[in-house]
Order: sequence, then C-alpha cells, then structure tokens
Amino acid sequence: MSARHVVAFVVVAFSSSIPVAAHHGAAAFDVGKQVVLKGTVAGWIYSNPHCLLSLDVTGEDGNVVRWIAEGQAPNVVYPVGYRKDSFNFGDQVTVTVEPVKNGRPMGRILAAVLVDGTKLGVANSSGTPPVPPGQPHTTP
Amino acid sequence: MDRLVRLAPLFLLALAASAIGAAQATRPQNPAPGGWRTPDWNKPPITNANRKPAPRRSLTGMWAPADGAGAGTQAQGVPSKPNNGKPENALPYTPYGLALYRSHHALEGFDAVLPTEDNDPRNRCEPLGIPRSNHYNIRLTQIFQDDDKVAMLYQYDNRWRVIWTDGRQLPKVVDGGVDVGGELREPRFFGYSVGRWLDDYTFEAQTVGTMPDDRVWLDSTGRPISEKAHVTETFRRVDADTLIWSETIDDPKLYTRPWETMRLPMRLHDPRTDIQEYYCSPSEQDNYNKLFGSGASSKGAP
Repeated sequence: MSARHVVAFVVVAFSSSIPVAAHHGAAAFDVGKQVVLKGTVAGWIYSNPHCLLSLDVTGEDGNVVRWIAEGQAPNVVYPVGYRKDSFNFGDQVTVTVEPVKNGRPMGRILAAVLVDGTKLGVANSSGTPPVPPGQPHTTP
Repeated sequence: MDRLVRLAPLFLLALAASAIGAAQATRPQNPAPGGWRTPDWNKPPITNANRKPAPRRSLTGMWAPADGAGAGTQAQGVPSKPNNGKPENALPYTPYGLALYRSHHALEGFDAVLPTEDNDPRNRCEPLGIPRSNHYNIRLTQIFQDDDKVAMLYQYDNRWRVIWTDGRQLPKVVDGGVDVGGELREPRFFGYSVGRWLDDYTFEAQTVGTMPDDRVWLDSTGRPISEKAHVTETFRRVDADTLIWSETIDDPKLYTRPWETMRLPMRLHDPRTDIQEYYCSPSEQDNYNKLFGSGASSKGAP
C-alpha cells in the first residue's frame, strides 16, 4: 500500500459510551461504533460551535470519499491539544471517529494521529493531552 | 572520589533535565508560549495539607468547575436533576410546565432530537439569561466585587451580570415585568439581582424579572423556566480555593414547588489565566449546519 493509499474501516463496536458533547447530544451518532480513517486533509475549520475536519479518504475501490469529522469548540479542544494548525491541507493523518447513524461519511473525532506523529485523544473536554511522537497512546 | 565529584554536576544536570522533561510531558499545555496562561485542569486536590482559610466576605477570583473541564458542561441538564428519564429526576411540573417542556425540542437529554430538528433558542444565538447561563458550559468564570456589587463574567458568549449589594430591594414580580418603586420595568435576560452575606463565607443572590418562557430555557435538555421564576443562588466559600455554587428555583407557573438545580464545586484558578472566546455566531452556526448538522440529521444516506 502506498503512502497515499488510504483506507477506512470499521474497527469495533464498543459498549462504552463516549462523553456527551457540549453542543449537541448523541442522537445523531452511532454511539460506541468507531471508524478509523486514513486520509488527506482537505480542510480544518477552528470555529464555533464545533471544529470541523474535512478528510479525503480513498476506499479499496479507489473512490475518494470526503469525510467530515467534528470536534468541540476551540476553547474545549485546545486544552487537549487540538490547535488551529493541527491539521493542514494535504497532511496525511489518521483519525478515529464515532460515525453518525445514517451512514453518511460524518462523525465526531475520538482520536487523531497528526502528520508529525503527535497523538491526540477525544476532541472534547474529556480528551487526553497530546502524546508526542513515538510514545504509546491510550485510545478512547 | 575525585571522579565522583567531577561527575556530580553532570548527574544533577541530567536529573534536572529529566524532571523538566517529565513536567512538560504531564503538563504540555501550561504555561503557554509567550506567557499566555492556559487553564490548569490538573490541579492537585485540596487536602488538609494544602488547605488555606477562606478570606472573609470575598468571592473575587477566577473560578472553574472543581471536578474538571467537563464538569460544568451540564449537557444532561441541571446537575441536581439530570434529564435521564430516571424517576428520581422527574421534575414537579405544573400541567402548563409539562406541556411547555414537551413543546421544546432539545439536542440533549432523554428526549433529544437530531441536529437541525431542535428549537433551542441558543441555536439562534439568543442570550441564555439567568438561570440558564449557570447551566451552560460553565468553565472559567470570573467574579469581581466592590462595596456595592458583585459582578460575574461568564466565558460563554462573554456575558456578564451584576448582583447589587448596596441594600436595594429585590423588585416585585408583576404581569409584564417587575415593579421598581411603583414603575413597571421590563423583563431582562439576566433579570434583576440583589445579594447579601448570610455570614462571612456565604453569599446569597436572588434574581427575578427574567424573560418570558417563550424566550429562554432552563437547561440544554429543554426544561422550561418562566418570567415568574425566583432564582436563589448561594456561594459558599469553603476555603481559599473552593467555592460551592448552589441554586434553587421557585417558579410556580411551571413547577409545583421550589427545587434545587445545582450544587457545583468551583476551584480557584490563576487570575492571569487567559480565557479563550466561546461564542454563538450565526454565520459559524450556519456553516456548521451546512457542513455537518444538516447531513447528520438526515434520515438516510445520500
């Protein structure tokens, strides 16, 4: 698999729940499900009420799907390591999301591995502080 | 021995470097570059060993929920009665109060709806007012006081309120607003507040004259509050670093009896802590709905 070959796959359905979002509830999300996305950053908006990451993910069929992954507002995600320049256009990153129920390529960010290898946790106030490259990461 | 003496400085240097490295690894976000201090959410607990006495008659300080950054979110409703469907958390609604609750479509709580299906006034960037400002993402909250007033600065939407302590009387609630010295005054999002010290460490604030029930909610799960509400807050300074913020509402239009909504421990933070903006912007809200909220709310895949 080349460096630019990206893939998305469902990991596992957890029984544990993710901490409730501050802006909206869990009604839209498939709580407990996780999808790992490896893709190319198409955009990162550091805004209220939620930060939004656009990620182009190439499936095994070669088709590119644009995923939208949300984090909480900047003041909430800053303490857990998400910055205005955490994601830049063209970065190859890995992002774990809790997808929405309706099957659209959308979810909320549970974890991320940035282009420099920094590992971040859940993009809300329950997230863990950033883990530098090369160190183990506690998944949500 | 000489060799040991020669190596000692190197050993101490390595030890210091290791300690600094460990500190940076555990607190990477603070202090921030350039001296712009970020909130320290990993403070050691207050124990008998580090407890300092509370100052007399002072609420002044930079306060934040003692149980962590998410402890003041209150996404599941007021903390004393989370909206989770459990019988012990059922509220004493009047028939009108229950009907009003059912007309609210909230994004949080037991009866949550999908994004874009809600009718939460917050999502139109309406001011939250009192008491909902006490129940919406309480994070860094500054309190200042002088001889005549206590002022509270909320992080969300950069809102502030004044609680008068100069001896003025709490207005009387009347139809259409409040009576102030025989004059009808308009309802306000943050109402009319007066306060007094019950003792050297307990401050009580009372608020009336808030907005009508079609303008404001009590919490993010759609619980209602009306213009007939009488909100009583107490701020009890347990020690120098801890403030217990409690609230009770008496709203006979919507609830058959007064009830406690919260008892939130607050922890004193460094007064130099920088406060990030956290706001409702109609344009950013629209962009969010366009990129995410509307798609996430649809009933099926495209």
